[in-house]
Amino acid sequence: MGNVLQVLFVGIIIGALYGLVALGFGLIMGVMKFINIAQGSFIILGGFVCYWIVTLWHLDPYFSIPLTMLAMFIVGLLLYRLLFSPLLKYPKAEMRLDKSLLMTFGVVWILDNTEILFWTPNSRSVITSYGYGTVKVLGAALSYTGLIGMGLAILAAAVLHLILTRTYFGKHVRAATEDAGAASLSGVNVQRTYLISCGIAISLAGLAGTVIVTSYSVTPGGGLSWLLMAMATVVLAGAGNMNYMIPAGIILGVLQSASTLFINPAYQQPIALIIFLLIIMFRPQGLFSKR
Amino acid sequence: MAAINWKKISAVGIILLILILVPMFVNLGTGIMNQLVTLFMYILLAQSWNLLGGYTGQINLGIAAFFGCSVMVTHFTWVAGMPIIISILAGSLSTIIFAVIIGIPTLRLKGMYFAVGTLALTQALQVIMQNIFTRSISAPGEYVHSYNIVTRYYLGLGMVALVMVAIYFVRWSKLGLAFTSIRDDEQAAQVTGVNTFKYKVISLLISAFIAGLAGGLYAYFRLYFYYTSDIFGHSWTFSSIMAVIVGGSGTLLGPVLGAIFLVILGYIFSLTLGQANLIVFGFLFIIVMLFMPQGLMGGINLFRAWLLQRKKPNTLEKNPGI
Repeated sequence: MGNVLQVLFVGIIIGALYGLVALGFGLIMGVMKFINIAQGSFIILGGFVCYWIVTLWHLDPYFSIPLTMLAMFIVGLLLYRLLFSPLLKYPKAEMRLDKSLLMTFGVVWILDNTEILFWTPNSRSVITSYGYGTVKVLGAALSYTGLIGMGLAILAAAVLHLILTRTYFGKHVRAATEDAGAASLSGVNVQRTYLISCGIAISLAGLAGTVIVTSYSVTPGGGLSWLLMAMATVVLAGAGNMNYMIPAGIILGVLQSASTLFINPAYQQPIALIIFLLIIMFRPQGLFSKR
Repeated sequence: MAAINWKKISAVGIILLILILVPMFVNLGTGIMNQLVTLFMYILLAQSWNLLGGYTGQINLGIAAFFGCSVMVTHFTWVAGMPIIISILAGSLSTIIFAVIIGIPTLRLKGMYFAVGTLALTQALQVIMQNIFTRSISAPGEYVHSYNIVTRYYLGLGMVALVMVAIYFVRWSKLGLAFTSIRDDEQAAQVTGVNTFKYKVISLLISAFIAGLAGGLYAYFRLYFYYTSDIFGHSWTFSSIMAVIVGGSGTLLGPVLGAIFLVILGYIFSLTLGQANLIVFGFLFIIVMLFMPQGLMGGINLFRAWLLQRKKPNTLEKNPGI
């Protein structure tokens, strides 16, 4: 019984992280209709930024979050200006999607190899004084870092939800998502909306990187496996369904975690692939869509 | 199909004859022969990606999965004592299983599903192979003893020639027209009565088979490989996409040009820049995507149009479609 509870809680914690990883990916996909294959690599980059801030300036990793997010926000602005805005000249949405897929695949290549060149292919993690501390909940041992990560993920999702529903900027984002042409006719600066949402998406990758570097580790080239989880979560939630990213991530996390009771834990990614295939075979609009 | 163009056919024949005859009479040395076999492998992979990505318009980010799967199957059937041709065929056919697993569910839907599904397949296969094979794989001693680079060269050359001819005929058949119609406007193609799903799957199967041929060549060329995760590595996917994009996607000769470019550049850069050469490739890829979407073939066409314009200024004005 204790074992099952432990697996359940671990699944929820890692699932919230999957939700967080999927938020940035889903934001770019929903708003701009671009697929950012490099989202996972940006997460790894965010993890490295946090690692170096902690190592060089001896800050607490959780206090370095604003700095990491700011740095990644700037990276996001650059990404949009240099790579995504030239793609807007293609008239058809499918074409933009294909081009963005290919282009960000190139970005994955650049980021991974640059990280290997500068920081060697070793995996890094931030170890704090409380990093190994655990708290007992109903007989299941949960680490502090995991719990903080879960809290941050839920907080980020809530803040993003509030921004999208309660602010003027959020209104612009939703208008641009629905119909960019009509939004632009009614006075929304679509380019600027895209620019800032791209920045937010990449800064969410910075937050996810911080959570990953504190509770797991980052490896150059490990980005694609996080991307795979993000994409499985997005498919589970239904594309563009930002509010359900965290629940969908938790479902995925619990399923994966439960599978470790029966098979080798190394096979997590094949399981994510199987879930992805099952969902698109039987319910391609996602679990939570009302359509 | 247009009338038979004797000029083109004789040019192709001369190039083929040179490629066949030169290694017979001149000893090029192992280094150059190795580069040439690698070049053939890249051409096969690039043609495979181009058939699906350039002609049919479906982005495949998991060619490494097909390639690696074929390498494994070819290697083990060959080591088990089968002749190499049959092993390569077995390896190529084995890729079709994965193509069906990933293609049937994802190609029904539009958008990112196929691209991301193939990427996920590569990741999943990497993990599975890493857990099954923890040590490097190598062929037994007698295979190493009878190793001869020249047979690899001719096998590779034959495969490339066959694949190019096959793609040329597919391109100008009803099948090829269906492929390009899906690329240009899937909805319109469907309305006109093209069963887009069927043709996308056919394109994927042919493409996977060609990637499997490249894998077979690799298994025949390299008798041992260090980590099984290497043959499933994303670098194979990236190189083949890069060769197609740089050469010009949706053309027959583009992937060949791109692959030649890639191998020469890789040779130069890895000598001068070391580890950083991969980053240079990444930047080059993005720059070509942004500023030269037609690739080298597009550049050649522009140059030709410019020459034509210089020679006969009137023809272009009458026919602005060139």
